[in-house]
Amino acid sequence: MSLSIVAESAPHISIAPETLFHIGPLLITNSQLLGLLGGVLAFTVLWSTARAFKNGTAGRFAHLIMWAFESLYDTTVEVIGDTKIAKKVVPLAITLVFFFVINNWLGLLPIVGSITYGEAPLLRGAAADLNVTVALAVISIVTAQLWAMKRRGIFGNLGRYFVNPFKDPLHAFEGILEFVAEFTRTAALALRIFGNVFGGEVLLGVIGFLTGYASVVALPIFYSLELFVGAVQGYVFFMLTIAFISLGLPGEEDAHGHEPAKGDKPESVPEEA
Amino acid sequence: MYHFVTAAVTHENAEHSVGLFQALGLNGTLLIENTLAFLVFVAVLAKFVYPALMKAVDARREAIETGLREAKESHKAAEKAQSQVAEVLEAARKDADDIIARSHQEATLMVAEAEEKAKSRAEQIVADARQQLDNDVRKAREALKRDTVELVALATERVIGEKLDDKKDAALVKKALAGEKA
Repeated sequence: MSLSIVAESAPHISIAPETLFHIGPLLITNSQLLGLLGGVLAFTVLWSTARAFKNGTAGRFAHLIMWAFESLYDTTVEVIGDTKIAKKVVPLAITLVFFFVINNWLGLLPIVGSITYGEAPLLRGAAADLNVTVALAVISIVTAQLWAMKRRGIFGNLGRYFVNPFKDPLHAFEGILEFVAEFTRTAALALRIFGNVFGGEVLLGVIGFLTGYASVVALPIFYSLELFVGAVQGYVFFMLTIAFISLGLPGEEDAHGHEPAKGDKPESVPEEA
Repeated sequence: MYHFVTAAVTHENAEHSVGLFQALGLNGTLLIENTLAFLVFVAVLAKFVYPALMKAVDARREAIETGLREAKESHKAAEKAQSQVAEVLEAARKDADDIIARSHQEATLMVAEAEEKAKSRAEQIVADARQQLDNDVRKAREALKRDTVELVALATERVIGEKLDDKKDAALVKKALAGEKA
């Protein structure tokens, strides 16, 4: 395999990520490589911000990151509605935002796609790989389920989906829909960000290829759009994750709301909820 | 036959699913790798970064809340001081009004007293003057009478040609009076 920094004449479009090499049984793809760089960058940004605030040497950039962190933290608390749970959800939720936004923006760099390793591009946007977005969507939905089980109990959580159809047919039907929705949510969560980011990268490649020398004028417009889309998609993923976690938690209506049908076992609602 | 068809369909579906997953680039190994890598990443951040950031956020909020609370207390204290100042000013204004009213009253009294004194003094002066005048008039009359008597006596001495003493004078007077009566 040889390393090349010469751009291809036509855009390279591949839905699947390219495997660069193996470490034992592990596959290392180009999206993982950029994901790793993005992760290291996200860690560095957050860690240096924390350090700067700890030492009292926070500059404008640190304040900007802290503002973003605080806004996301507040949103999490507001959506979850319980500060105690929100503080436990914050690490996952905020990491998703920083990971996706930084990776989406890194994916727009000209070096992504143009440097090749053998036949394949050396780097690829992390969110432009379904293996990454599906993995993160599964983590989000499983986290939501774990929180729901923790607060409602295993049977209480199952009670959201499976209701005796002879006692309450409407809720039974609703439960089935809700059960199916958990899978469609996972798929939608993964496909939404993948579609946007992958589509954006393809769009940039195609526009750059079609416009030729005029691409210096045409591409900045699309780059601006993709910068915006990259940030918005990261935020949407974050919002949906905390919304799904919040949906699984018992609310007011679970504690005082609809009376269960006769013979139905009521959902276990923890006292602190 | 039925089993054969079902198996064939299932096999075809499975192949189709694998084909779809392959077309989308989905790979079980990569999914597991990515999941674990991201969970490790979250765990590292949760252990080493987020506690410090949350602490900074909490400290900043606490500082803001403390500032707000202190500002509120200062505002209350200022309001209290303002009301106290207003009270003191009101009391001072009242005292000033009382002092002015009392001064006016005292001034009026003093003027009235002075007027009274002046009036009585003037009356005294007038009375004294009148007394003095009466005395002077009486003295002048007595002096005039005495002079007149002396002149009359002197004139009578010249007329009668002898020195008159009191006895003679009295006899002449009686005689004159008797002649007058007749």
